[in-house]
Amino acid sequence: MLPSPPETRASLIVRLRDVADVAAWDEFMTIYGPLVYRLAIRQGLQAVDAEDVVQQVFIAVAQSVHQWLDRPQPNRFRSWLLTIARNIAIKTLTRRPHGGVGLGGERGWNDLAAPDGDWSSQFDFEYRQEVYRWAAEQVQNTVASNTWKAFQLTHIEGVSIAAAAERLGMSIGNVYIARSRVVNRLRELAKQFEVSQ
Amino acid sequence: MIRTCASYSDDQLRQLLLGNDDGPTGSVDHLAECSNCQARLERLAADAEQWSEIRDSLQLERDFEPGFELPLENNRSRSPNKDRDHWLRHATWTESMAKSLLSPASHPEMLGRIGRYDVERLIGSGGMGVVFKAYDTELNRPVAIKLLAPYLAGSGSARNRFAREARAAAAVVDDHVVPIHNVETGNEQDNGQPFLVMKFIPGGSLQQRIDREGPLELCEILRIGMQAAKGLAAAHAQGLIHRDVKPSNILLDEGVDRALITDFGLARTTDDASLTRSGFHPGTPHYMSPEQVRGEAIDARSDLFGLGCVMYAMCTGHPPFRSETSYAVLRRITDDTPRSICETNALIPEWIERIVMKLLAKSREARYSSAFEVYTLLEKCLAHVQQPTIVPLPVELQQKPQRRLWLPVLAIASIGIALTCGVWWTQPRPVGNADTATVVSTETVSTESVLQWESDLPEMESLRRDFVPVEKKSTKLWDIEPKQ
Repeated sequence: MLPSPPETRASLIVRLRDVADVAAWDEFMTIYGPLVYRLAIRQGLQAVDAEDVVQQVFIAVAQSVHQWLDRPQPNRFRSWLLTIARNIAIKTLTRRPHGGVGLGGERGWNDLAAPDGDWSSQFDFEYRQEVYRWAAEQVQNTVASNTWKAFQLTHIEGVSIAAAAERLGMSIGNVYIARSRVVNRLRELAKQFEVSQ
Repeated sequence: MIRTCASYSDDQLRQLLLGNDDGPTGSVDHLAECSNCQARLERLAADAEQWSEIRDSLQLERDFEPGFELPLENNRSRSPNKDRDHWLRHATWTESMAKSLLSPASHPEMLGRIGRYDVERLIGSGGMGVVFKAYDTELNRPVAIKLLAPYLAGSGSARNRFAREARAAAAVVDDHVVPIHNVETGNEQDNGQPFLVMKFIPGGSLQQRIDREGPLELCEILRIGMQAAKGLAAAHAQGLIHRDVKPSNILLDEGVDRALITDFGLARTTDDASLTRSGFHPGTPHYMSPEQVRGEAIDARSDLFGLGCVMYAMCTGHPPFRSETSYAVLRRITDDTPRSICETNALIPEWIERIVMKLLAKSREARYSSAFEVYTLLEKCLAHVQQPTIVPLPVELQQKPQRRLWLPVLAIASIGIALTCGVWWTQPRPVGNADTATVVSTETVSTESVLQWESDLPEMESLRRDFVPVEKKSTKLWDIEPKQ
């Protein structure tokens, strides 16, 4: 009886509806926090103001996530979040009397007004990174250290299977199993974040 | 013996992925040899694109050389990605991490050295950096040294902000603001990092004291509140808004009963264009003002809200707005009225509650107009509490608190009962219930309740007994006796 992977798409987002769901919000902030922060920095905001943007984005999400969920045909959560983040970043830039600080207000504006394409794919790329890094932390904490090392050496550091097996004192077959197990768990964990959509 | 691939179905391989053991006998050996099964196992774990996405995502992290080495187990902080660290900087600092910021110690009992200071130990860490206790070897006095976190040292804006804190705090000279001795730049060995040298205040923070002792005594609440208000007034007089007033930013100088405000890291001058921005740090929004939560403009009165939160915490042992998550706390700050202080701690007089609730007003206009006003008010209150017979409670607080509704009700009821009882006792005994009822109704006192009282005379007595102490407590304890 193999457990068929549960339908986890958007499950995290659904949980955000409950502001008391600490775990869900923690995960959410761990993954989206740096993303939004970097997005704001790229707009020419200073660190302090970028932090403020992150906070405002999260408050906005907390306040309106049920509206998004109640839509009959919700668009991607990430796109929705991106829109919110952009709007708030624009507001932050324009609220300054002399435009943005950092790289200069004018430039910040132009960047914001630019079409979405690059922006959104860059956001997707960074998003995926955050998700996998987060998942890696989870997995690393739950598997035997050799299992993790087998994965890390062979898949991330490019060490050959045989060399890794020797270094870790594992059999070659076990290295194969270990790295696939790790990747399988990473994928499972990442699934709820819609990384591949 | 090497089995053929056919002997392992996809299901068996999946099971191998999900399990923790070696799976079916022989599968480990088989996988070492059979490239077909190796490939199938990989594909079942994830498709090729996902394998490479995973590698790209995790590999990038390794391209950076961390500026300083953190313990391996602290995986989160080890991540060298600067922005990400900036965001996740709330990871707890440990001495060994902090030590990495310092030059080697000149003395085995010391943690390290920076500039001319021998660093003894880590005493705190915040969003921007770490604070050490150290010795100024030239002036031979203990100091507190605040060091910018290493991942921020390279950031111009963080350095500016750090310098701004130094300038801001140094400009405020008051008995109740932690004095800044100096701002220094470390030498080459210390990576040229700027650091702040402050007076060392022995005794810990108000937060630590509340954690240790729970609610404080009335005199202490008034004294600390008053002194914090004075420190804030001094900052406000310099056009500086602290923006982060909370118990952990109030230090208690042990022995001399002096509270000092510290950490002007978030402070902004009133002419700063970015003043409209809120600036809270995730994780500790408990003491934010509603206008900060809403991202509206803030002014000196926003610090008064923080002061109200601090006083509330001193009265009850916990912040006024609590919840499981930061978001729920934020919502409560803007929407909820905190629970009555007197309900939580019966030793707190009601007039204190009124002061605190006024500080905690959602709208700035409804709060006190300045920290100085709060300071003078609390000073008068303290004088009153210390010498109740000589110094009256300040006039603005004398207006009788709204009595709880049940007090007059009880009073009326007891008059009614007294009348009824009088009548009842003058009746010849034994008297039937019906007769009593008639008598009572002629008295035109709320018949129903009286009937009930009458049939339960002992209970009435006990209620009367309760009633007296309540009255006593309300005058004696609230207006005269500060402590127990």
